Amino acid sequence: MIGDMLETQELRKTFGTGKVALDRVSFAVRPGEMFGFVGANGAGKTTTMRIVMGVMQADSGEVRWKGAPLGFAERRKFGYMPEERGLYQKMRVADQIEYFGRLHGLSPAAAGKAAGDLVERLGLTERAKDAVESLSLGNQQRVQLAVALVHDPDVLVLDEPFSGLDPLAVDALAEALRERARSGVPVIFSSHQLELVERLCDSVGIISAGRMVASGTVDELRASEGRKLRVVVADPEPGWAQDLAGELTVEGGREVLVTQDDDDQRVLRAAMRAGRVEHFGVERPTLTEIFKEAVA
Amino acid sequence: MNGLLLVAGREIRTQVRSKSFVISLVISALLIGAVAFAPKILGGSDSFKVGVVASQRLQVWGDAKVEWKDYADEGAAKRAVLDGDVDAALVGGTKVLTDGEIDDQLGLLLQSAHREAQIGAAGVTVTPLVMQSVGADTRYQKTRTGIAVVLVVILFMLVIGTPMMVAMGVVEEKSSRIVEILLTSVRPVQLLGGKILGLGVVGLINLVVAIAAGLVGALASGLAVDFPPGMAGIVAGVVVWFVLGYLFFAAFAAMLASLVSRQEEVGNVLTPMTMTMMVTYGVAFYSAADPTSTVATITSFVPPFSSMVMPVRAAAAEVPFWQVAVSAVAMAAAAVAVALLAARIYERAVLRTGARVRLLDVVKGR
Ligand SMILES: Nc1ncnc2c1ncn2[C@@H]1O[C@H](COP(=O)(O)OP(=O)(O)O)[C@@H](O)[C@H]1O
Ligand SMILES: [Mg+2]
Repeated sequence: MIGDMLETQELRKTFGTGKVALDRVSFAVRPGEMFGFVGANGAGKTTTMRIVMGVMQADSGEVRWKGAPLGFAERRKFGYMPEERGLYQKMRVADQIEYFGRLHGLSPAAAGKAAGDLVERLGLTERAKDAVESLSLGNQQRVQLAVALVHDPDVLVLDEPFSGLDPLAVDALAEALRERARSGVPVIFSSHQLELVERLCDSVGIISAGRMVASGTVDELRASEGRKLRVVVADPEPGWAQDLAGELTVEGGREVLVTQDDDDQRVLRAAMRAGRVEHFGVERPTLTEIFKEAVA
Repeated sequence: MNGLLLVAGREIRTQVRSKSFVISLVISALLIGAVAFAPKILGGSDSFKVGVVASQRLQVWGDAKVEWKDYADEGAAKRAVLDGDVDAALVGGTKVLTDGEIDDQLGLLLQSAHREAQIGAAGVTVTPLVMQSVGADTRYQKTRTGIAVVLVVILFMLVIGTPMMVAMGVVEEKSSRIVEILLTSVRPVQLLGGKILGLGVVGLINLVVAIAAGLVGALASGLAVDFPPGMAGIVAGVVVWFVLGYLFFAAFAAMLASLVSRQEEVGNVLTPMTMTMMVTYGVAFYSAADPTSTVATITSFVPPFSSMVMPVRAAAAEVPFWQVAVSAVAMAAAAVAVALLAARIYERAVLRTGARVRLLDVVKGR
């Protein structure tokens, strides 16, 4: 089902100030895939997502959905949570969710039912008739999510959905997103929390200063990062690792070498000559390490 | 359903459900009803009560009504005058008692009636003069001016109040950032159009209630008897003029409001619109008092002044229908032009949050 992908192709955006916010940003998200969009502040995540959602125009480039340029009618079936949250403060919770359901094209009956179901699932039943402004921030976040989900969207685009959530709420939201992804919806979200992205996402895109510097599955990124060996030797002879490129650190009585040397057997022989080898293995770089490497 | 109608529906529901809407509706209905009813309470100066002691009731001519009341003696009549039960008392067919100086009109009435009675007694019949106006029909002048003034006030309240609500709504959506979600499922034109339509319906509800209250008050007070012919046309005209004026000013307000992101900035950014409106109001008020002046005639064709001046002129004096039609078409064209411009500006400015956006930048597409 390669046709059901959401793709951005060579998006470019320059602001009036002359600031180049996006420079040929391309990535693809497959059906059922969770795509983590990571990058430092000001890297261009929000700008990209706004262009995907049609609330901002790219100078050039294209957003494609199911192999064709994305239009207003299809986009209306997308769900969106913008970085700057927004709700009608004086409107009642259930009314608000229902209203957005209608705007996204649901019939009155379907919107009412969807709103009722969501209110219940998000634990807002007691507050359904209250004005949004009377809710705690946490509950307002839930309403915000409900507004993005009410029409059972074809694609979910969420800008920093986890920011400001407590750990329990993070888990609940993660589960809600996974569930959508499992039903075949491409889910794209941006985040600063790299461990979270690593844990949740099938694939990741790293953006830096408006350019995609890496994208693919976490494993693909690791592979491109190059294999690293980690060796721990107890009480080694001094200077044993002189001939090996890499980083040597001392932890207690042990020395730890992390090296990108391709000849693992040579590294192992050197280590065994030096002392007792307590650990020898291929190091899996964390997303944080990949990220630092990529944006460096 | 169309996004525009959904947006309009939400605006109407939100307003109609709010306490402030109900309260302001009741207050304005009461106020206008009271204004229409007031002449009854204040007592129309055209009717008098006159006490009579030991003399004939006099025959009075003309529009004025005199209610006669008999008293047994001069003492009783004097008390009635002092208590304000009667405006004056005629004693013995020779003198008139009053509390202070007599009302000019009543004094003249009694004098001439007395003179006639004496001449009549001498066997001479006096045929009253027939009054015939060869100029404009001014019979309804006072009522017309009164209606015109009330119309200016109602139109002004609604034509300034409702676009204000549009402006507040635009900024509310911008400052709460909800506009970013809204625009993923409705087009900017639908969002703007829906808001103007919805709040316009709310304004119309207000207008219709105000007019109804005025008519009920006028019927209750008997003022309605003095209504000029074609009152229904005047009322229908007011509704049409409200719609045209509202469309113009609401689009103007929405356009300006889309430039700012905070409620505190609304008043400031709307200054060009409020100034235009104040001038319109001033001219309309002046025209209510002097509907046949050159200023009134000219401004009743110039949009947006015409949106208030023409209905006022038409209420205060006779205006040929073709003039009203020409003026309405010009106003409608102006309103559509402003609405189109507003849609463009709004579309470009509404997502630009933060500092106030300069109108010139938006027009140039920067
Ligand atoms: N409306 C705007 N006008 C001018 N510059 C902007 C605007 N929006 C974003 N930028 C700039 O574009 C760059 C990318 O911003 P953004 O997409 O918000 O980054 P991120 O979401 O990754 O933090 C930043 O340098 C930001 O200052
Ligand atoms: Mg951002």
